[in-house]
Amino acid sequence: MPARPTRPTTRAARAETRGETRPQEPRPPEQHRSEDDPRIMLDRDVGADLYEPIPPYPTRTEREGEFYTRGDGEMFINIGPHHPATHGVLRLVLKLSGEQIVDVDPVLGYLHRGVEKICENSDYYHVIDQVDPLEYVSSLFQEWAAVLSFEKLMDVEVPRRAEYIRVLSGELLRVASHTLYMGFLALDLGGLTPILYSFIERDEIVEMLAALTGARMLFNYFRIGGVNGDLNHEFMSRLGDWMSRAARQTEANAGLLNENEIFVRRARGVGVLDRATALRFGVTGGNLRAAGVPFDIRRAHPYSIYPELDFNVPTRLEGDSLARYLIRVDEVRESIKIIDQCLHNMPDGPVMAKLPRLLRPRPGRAWGACEGPRGMLGVYTISDGSDQPFRFRIHDPSFLNLETVPTLLPGNLLADTMTIVASLDPVLGGIDK
Amino acid sequence: MDRTLKRRLEARLGTQIQGPIRQRHDQTEIRIQPGDVPDVLRTLHDSVDFRFEILADLAGVDTGESMQVVYHLWSETSPDWLRIIVDGISREDPRCPSATFLWTGAEWLEREAYDMFGIVFEGNRDLRRIFMPPDYTSFPLRKDFLLPDDAARSPGEGVRHVERPYAPAVVADDPAAGVRRAPAS
Repeated sequence: MPARPTRPTTRAARAETRGETRPQEPRPPEQHRSEDDPRIMLDRDVGADLYEPIPPYPTRTEREGEFYTRGDGEMFINIGPHHPATHGVLRLVLKLSGEQIVDVDPVLGYLHRGVEKICENSDYYHVIDQVDPLEYVSSLFQEWAAVLSFEKLMDVEVPRRAEYIRVLSGELLRVASHTLYMGFLALDLGGLTPILYSFIERDEIVEMLAALTGARMLFNYFRIGGVNGDLNHEFMSRLGDWMSRAARQTEANAGLLNENEIFVRRARGVGVLDRATALRFGVTGGNLRAAGVPFDIRRAHPYSIYPELDFNVPTRLEGDSLARYLIRVDEVRESIKIIDQCLHNMPDGPVMAKLPRLLRPRPGRAWGACEGPRGMLGVYTISDGSDQPFRFRIHDPSFLNLETVPTLLPGNLLADTMTIVASLDPVLGGIDK
Repeated sequence: MDRTLKRRLEARLGTQIQGPIRQRHDQTEIRIQPGDVPDVLRTLHDSVDFRFEILADLAGVDTGESMQVVYHLWSETSPDWLRIIVDGISREDPRCPSATFLWTGAEWLEREAYDMFGIVFEGNRDLRRIFMPPDYTSFPLRKDFLLPDDAARSPGEGVRHVERPYAPAVVADDPAAGVRRAPAS
């Protein structure tokens, strides 16, 4: 008996036996092999030099070439861009000899959003909420600098009550920012406790400001010619509660670190920034005052109502990481004094000047600068007579403070990177713009 | 306004200052030529009666016709901010002497101005891009770098003042083009 013919297996073959011709079905694409795809990297392609931070392009400057040439026994280490101790997306390429730092190349731009260009394409009212996310820890000060510049450009006079509210909210935020600084400095040195207390304080202040402005971080509160809203009951009652214990609580929080032997030993004498170097680098704020220069815009170039207020500008001579920390502790005390004076002398009156709906300042130029928690925040505006700034230049203090890192780090140990970078208090949102 | 500062500047730098010294609010403004930058900055920084020790800011500006570099200085000898505008830098080949010989901190500020405007600071030892990636070729804050935003595509294109005076040639070449682009150069 002949074997029974096997039935064709595919549908196309069966159709062929019946004498039907069917259009060819599209073949499935060939198996995608990862070896052929240049975008997919296999383990065997990974040479030892993949992890070297050597730029994949010819070096652009002499200094870059010098940095990326490795000497005898030297190695590169990347810190960041995602590293808990870099306060944002900062990348530091360290050149090490053993555990000692030989050279540093900070790489910026991971958070660059082109805020200046955006501001040059927004009208004057919109600029204020565009600059908010720059220094996200203390965004009121960035608004303040922009508003100061615009008010000079347009000859706007701000009501006195608005000036008092600006100083009051600004100093509150300065306390919050400095408190956070102390906590993060300790955290970078391995102490977990202070940050918890810092966040209690900061949350208290931020909730208070949320009652005043409607937002916890990006306030969008200052306006050209005043502020967005008057003081309200919730803010005042929260502020009263906080003020009754603020001084005591600050001392207690500072005591956690001031009397901590490990912290003091790790911070004292590390990353000394002397007076001449600080001035040459254009360092401002607490970092400059820790080097012995009493430069505080609130006194050096007074704005708002600061000439009427009684406060000191604390300075220190050492210029090391510990001095930079202690300056912040002193500044919190001064800020609490200022808040107290604002509350006692708060005048009545309007909080906004009368301004037209569409602002078209006359062509001209104006520079406004204020003292933020990290130093001088400046804004340079050029008007061409239209409703948008022709040029909107933002100067951020953290940018120049961070620039000292390649000078401060060499000679120190790898572990001191954290101390030095954290004690300079950079905020990458402002640096990268 | 600090009138004495104006008199002192006229007495000391009278030959190098271009045009009048302008004063408004708390700012005094002088204009100089790119070639005079090292001399003027050194005089302002070093001489005992000026002592402009703090470089508050260094900004690049594209006016559409030329490039500018703007310095803001602070000194304890004057209640004013001093603004120095270095004017008349060509847009095709923008060059300006570096200020790093006085302020090391100007190095990054100049890198930023180079990154955003393409101004080459002669004497800066590390003039490379700082925010934009190394293979980037444009200079984003120049006025011929237009944003592909809604206004550029809408019937009201060109209402934004940044687009008005500097890119009419593109429209004349190809009126049908929906999106405006910056000229190639």
